Amino acid sequence: MVRLSRFLLKDAGNVIDKTLSEILVCPLSKQPLRFCEKTKSLVSDTIGVSFPMKDGIPCLVPKDGKILEEESEASKA
Amino acid sequence: MRRINSMYGRIGMLRRVSEKLTKQSSDTFLASHSFSTHGGYGGDGELQQNNSKVKIFDRDLKRIHRDRAAWLSSRHKNNSFVDAVADNLLDRLEDCKKSFPTALCLGGSLGAVKRLIRGRGGIEKLIMMDTSYDMIKSCRDAHEDTLDNSIETSYLVGDEEFLPIKESSVDLIISSLGLHWTNDLPGSMIQCKLALKPDGLFLAAILGGETLKELRIACTLAHMEREGGISPRLSPLAQVRDAGNLLTRAGFSLPGVDVDEYVVKYKSALDLIEHLRAMGETNGLLERNKILNRETALATAAIYDSMFATEDGTIPATFQVIYMTGWREHSSHQQAKRRGSATVSFRDLHKQFGGQSES
Repeated sequence: MVRLSRFLLKDAGNVIDKTLSEILVCPLSKQPLRFCEKTKSLVSDTIGVSFPMKDGIPCLVPKDGKILEEESEASKA
Repeated sequence: MRRINSMYGRIGMLRRVSEKLTKQSSDTFLASHSFSTHGGYGGDGELQQNNSKVKIFDRDLKRIHRDRAAWLSSRHKNNSFVDAVADNLLDRLEDCKKSFPTALCLGGSLGAVKRLIRGRGGIEKLIMMDTSYDMIKSCRDAHEDTLDNSIETSYLVGDEEFLPIKESSVDLIISSLGLHWTNDLPGSMIQCKLALKPDGLFLAAILGGETLKELRIACTLAHMEREGGISPRLSPLAQVRDAGNLLTRAGFSLPGVDVDEYVVKYKSALDLIEHLRAMGETNGLLERNKILNRETALATAAIYDSMFATEDGTIPATFQVIYMTGWREHSSHQQAKRRGSATVSFRDLHKQFGGQSES
């Protein structure tokens, strides 16, 4: 039963937790984050950095952030 | 410094990955200084802070240490020291009439805090945050194993120095033995204060200056004898008087500080080091000497034994823990009265109570 619930949680790992989505902001600019479905990451538009989500856990350490390339920004716009 | 690190095998590998990212995110790092302590700190203070921001601790190395601690702590199930500190910290919640529905737990001994909450403080939503992904993962796995669903827990990987929490969004912030590894402790505390709702509570336990003084003495002596010089082996730790200043500087109202000393007994100096490894508390200073001679290590253990051993052969290690509490301002808190608004003079008070006082 425990194993089953763990698998279910793994599938739901791509959706961000409701509590977190209300509270999280970008660690560097303190602006709200946007969840990008395509790359499964949290994007901070003000400074153009995306933070990955590993297994449903957002990694908001500044070191883990990737500066978004210009082309992907254009495709989103 | 990075070149030397690349010779160190797997640590070098990890470093190289983070180096790539630092190059990419270096621009964001420069921008971060102007954002990390916004609001309430004063504009003129910021520029000076950029130049004088001292990097004492190697944060990347601390992440690696905490990853290792996550792997080791699965073996060291009974960590009574860490549990005692977490218990003491959570006890303070019982002293408050207020309940704290949303709580944030910052690094340090996360697992212990979560395990020992036991419904204190009326916490309904708990957010666990740590710099190390492995630590968060092992907390989450432990949580799923116990099937304890009374508190809704969310997990997050983040840095205490760059808090990714919106302003005025949590009622309670707990940090048990986590903040003594931050480079910018006042900055972290200011960010914590901003993240708190008005009338929110900040509880922290950090290690104080007396911690591991026996180890510090033994290390220094051994190094002086064997190598003729010393390199920093113990991190600079806060003093009790500094803790009070930190709280007021961060802008917390009704600050409170108290100290507790725990003496933990070990069978040998190596056991002490193993325990420190399991807690993720090993040396993380940037200035550290990365090489430790086998002879020096043995000499340290021998000196420790000869100077500090007790009658039954065990060696004691002191851990001084400083507990800090602070609240975010709220209109219901006591405020100091304005100067010149006194209605009763000291002379009157002395006349009233003078018979009972000694002077």
